[in-house]
Amino acid sequence: MNEYELGIVDTRNILKAIQVHYNSDFRNYALTFFKRRLEYIIKRYNLKSADNLVEKLTNDGSFFQLFLKEICVENTEMFRDPSLWRFLMDDFLTPLIQKSTSYKIWFPEVSSGEELYSLVILLTELNLQDYVEIHASSISENRMDKVKQGIFDLSKMEVNRANFKRIFRDKELDEYCTIENGEGYLNSSLLGNIRFFSQNANFDRSPGGVKLIMWRNQMLYYNQILEERLLKTMNSCLVPGGHLIIGLNERIDYWNSDKDFVLVGENDSVYKKKLS
Amino acid sequence: MYQAVIIGGSAGSFRAITKILNALPVGYSMPLLLNLHRLKHVRSGFMEALSIKSNIPVLEPYDKDSIKSGIAYLAPSNYHMYIELNKKIALSTEETVNHSRPSIDLSFATAAQTYHRNLIGIILSGANKDGAWGLKKIKDAGGTPIVQDPEECEVSTMSRAALEATNGNHIYSTDQIINFLLKH
Repeated sequence: MNEYELGIVDTRNILKAIQVHYNSDFRNYALTFFKRRLEYIIKRYNLKSADNLVEKLTNDGSFFQLFLKEICVENTEMFRDPSLWRFLMDDFLTPLIQKSTSYKIWFPEVSSGEELYSLVILLTELNLQDYVEIHASSISENRMDKVKQGIFDLSKMEVNRANFKRIFRDKELDEYCTIENGEGYLNSSLLGNIRFFSQNANFDRSPGGVKLIMWRNQMLYYNQILEERLLKTMNSCLVPGGHLIIGLNERIDYWNSDKDFVLVGENDSVYKKKLS
Repeated sequence: MYQAVIIGGSAGSFRAITKILNALPVGYSMPLLLNLHRLKHVRSGFMEALSIKSNIPVLEPYDKDSIKSGIAYLAPSNYHMYIELNKKIALSTEETVNHSRPSIDLSFATAAQTYHRNLIGIILSGANKDGAWGLKKIKDAGGTPIVQDPEECEVSTMSRAALEATNGNHIYSTDQIINFLLKH
């Protein structure tokens, strides 16, 4: 367990250093989450104290990239929540994409890439990949570089395979992956058409005309101010009738005061942007 | 004086936790925070199974839900469940801790920071050591650490680890745990 504990003042000093030196604003990340990640970073990089972390951030520009990598929480596994993916396969994606001349999907934070990998595998299985334009962004260029190469953590392969089997009973996940030098790789052909772009902590960049946003388990790490602000961003880039999918134990009810979104898949946290 | 009860359990804890839930009355004066290891790919069934004999509502909270008395909040499958200083739930998909997500240690440690001496922490049967460190945090913060009697546990690894970590003297059978909870 992580025994090093930061104080609130320490946390605020680190936030300020990041703001001053990198013009990057993490003040609206959930404070206790952010504090916990800072403690993790201090321990992982053997920095021993908040002052040392501030010094490192101040004097070592390259360390900030590592910091951003560690702040992004991994999606945890491929096909997490198999029932959602089964719903996407059986009831959701095919009718929407077949009716559409181009179907644009955005992953606002791809982190470890497993959600993105899951989707491109699903689209391939459904023979829908040629009708879809996927955009993916991250605040961490390190993480995005890994995702572009299709790298994933092999230690999760067992659970990845098990989840895959729950959706595609007669197939094997290994058809889509290779293992080299202790790393797992998604077959590169699956990622060739994805448009990646960098993002800052306030998600100031977004594609327009999006029909589906996959934003699962990301709001967990924001405070209510940032949640509300980002929900407005999501709303503005979705077309009317477009969908927003968030984590199974997330809700946007607090911020959906204008009723921009209607919950259409309660069990799977699928929201639809109202038509007008 | 107590404001919350947090309970951790793993293999063999189902019988004890259902007995506890069955014994507590509707409108119980504190919230129950439950962190019970379970299969992570199975979303439904467990909460419903706990609810069958429970007098108080059992629910899997959404992120940022406020914690209310008389409700049992069950850590959702495949999420860590943190107890925030503002007495709200915070969920997370961060790394597993001791191969567990949810981690009992994390729920207990954050509940200790929030409720201090006004917290009752209970470790039930289980086949691992998750929860021992967290129960010590509860004790260090002035809360009351309770361990299910290893002699009664179906699997005693977890309760023995918790006793070792806390030098515990509240070693209770399930019935004694229930009596303690009904008195406070």
